[in-house]
Amino acid sequence: MRTVLYQKHVESGGKIVDFAGWEMPLWYKKGQSAEHHATRKNVGLFDICHMGEFDITGPGSKEMMSKLLTNNVFGMSDGQASYNFMLNQNGGVIDDCIIYKFNDEKWMLVVNAGNIRTDLEWIMENAPGGVTVTDRSDRTAKLDLQGPDSPKIIRDLAGEDVLNKFGFFKFRDGVVIGGIPVLLSRTGYTGEIGFELYFDSDRAVEMWDMLIKAGEKYGIEPCGLGARDSLRTEAGLPLHGHEIRPDVPALNTPWNFVFDWEHDFIGKAALLKIREEGSGHYTIPFIMSGRSKAMPGWNVNLEGVKIGNVVSGVISPTLENRPIGFLMSQTPLETGTKLTFNEEGKSRILEGEISDSPFVKPTSRMKMKNFL
Amino acid sequence: MLIPENVLFAESHEYVRVENGIATIGLSDYAQQQLGDITYIELPAEGDTVSKGSSVGVIEAVKAASDLYSPISGEIVEINSELESAPELVNQDCYGQGWILKIKISEESELSGLMDNQAYKKHVE
Repeated sequence: MRTVLYQKHVESGGKIVDFAGWEMPLWYKKGQSAEHHATRKNVGLFDICHMGEFDITGPGSKEMMSKLLTNNVFGMSDGQASYNFMLNQNGGVIDDCIIYKFNDEKWMLVVNAGNIRTDLEWIMENAPGGVTVTDRSDRTAKLDLQGPDSPKIIRDLAGEDVLNKFGFFKFRDGVVIGGIPVLLSRTGYTGEIGFELYFDSDRAVEMWDMLIKAGEKYGIEPCGLGARDSLRTEAGLPLHGHEIRPDVPALNTPWNFVFDWEHDFIGKAALLKIREEGSGHYTIPFIMSGRSKAMPGWNVNLEGVKIGNVVSGVISPTLENRPIGFLMSQTPLETGTKLTFNEEGKSRILEGEISDSPFVKPTSRMKMKNFL
Repeated sequence: MLIPENVLFAESHEYVRVENGIATIGLSDYAQQQLGDITYIELPAEGDTVSKGSSVGVIEAVKAASDLYSPISGEIVEINSELESAPELVNQDCYGQGWILKIKISEESELSGLMDNQAYKKHVE
């Protein structure tokens, strides 16, 4: 499958790879490191049209979302977004997603591209009569504009009032950017201050060109999936299928903030049982000692004994190309614990240690006015 | 994609440029494009003797790490020490400043097992 911007990516020298069935750019002409640095220092633009968007409406939708999601849906105000896990009965992660609240009976759920069908089936299975779920992924474009100069671009195109007191994980619907109505969300997957823009997919090429042009004076770069992965890893954010998975109960991760334990949700009972038994896996950040990286699937060893596997590994441009990542271990590990890494069956051994995450201090939560 | 005429290529995408019995070895333009930004190159020591097909280093890039295989047998007479601080030279100028190592060829006949630019062009298509 291709997003409506596929031709743009090819024209821009994008190296196209398969991602969850989508032909997406891994990086463009200047390369992943340049794109990564542009997003941290200036601004980057990402085609995220492949992700899924569902409208969820009707009486009972709030109760349904609360049951399906781990965070505090009942505590949300209108115009607020919230990051969540959606769990199966065993406490494994079906998907991670952002829920947008318009009002008690109108929501939008944004999900990973590879999980659209699974998520939709799961939600329908749990939907009471009266709740309508509409998959509008095909007609919704999503572009991510991320980085410390991203607010200036929005200001230049839509006026400064649009950004007035615009807090982290808040959204504004019907913002007009260069004539195109947009749901403008102050969210992202890079750790930097920035926006996710949702709008009619027919306008995607027009919007892409407009943002690139308006961003030229700030040093904007189009960014591929490579930079998206290294940025999210530095920011300490999980990638579904790696750090969080349907077959691994989502306990003992750096993302405990997604759980509101005061409410009932699917998967809660299983997680509480695992917590009581003290079993389960630990998802933990690590940093390499040298300049070679440990790859997903590699063995993780403590004092020569295998204790788990690497689930993500990237080179961190911000940390002068030190490799970082996440591992899954059968035992808890303190920050600073020395580890070795090797590919199964290979004798080359790399050294590293348990780290804290996020690996870099992000700007995402800082005040908007500091960036204008 | 650059495929110069005066060099030979191994199936594993190293190139060999022979001058006076010394082979200059590097990564092909195709290979550096596939790997993306190269961040580190683990090199062997000068004076090491290597055989054709043996691993002589590791190329660390944003996408993956890959072994560098020697396309021929011989003695390593020089490594490109510039790459320690500037591995991106391999991305920027793989056939020039981004060369990786030089080997004194011990088995001249091995060169006939490598591809010329036309054959390599077919190999990567």
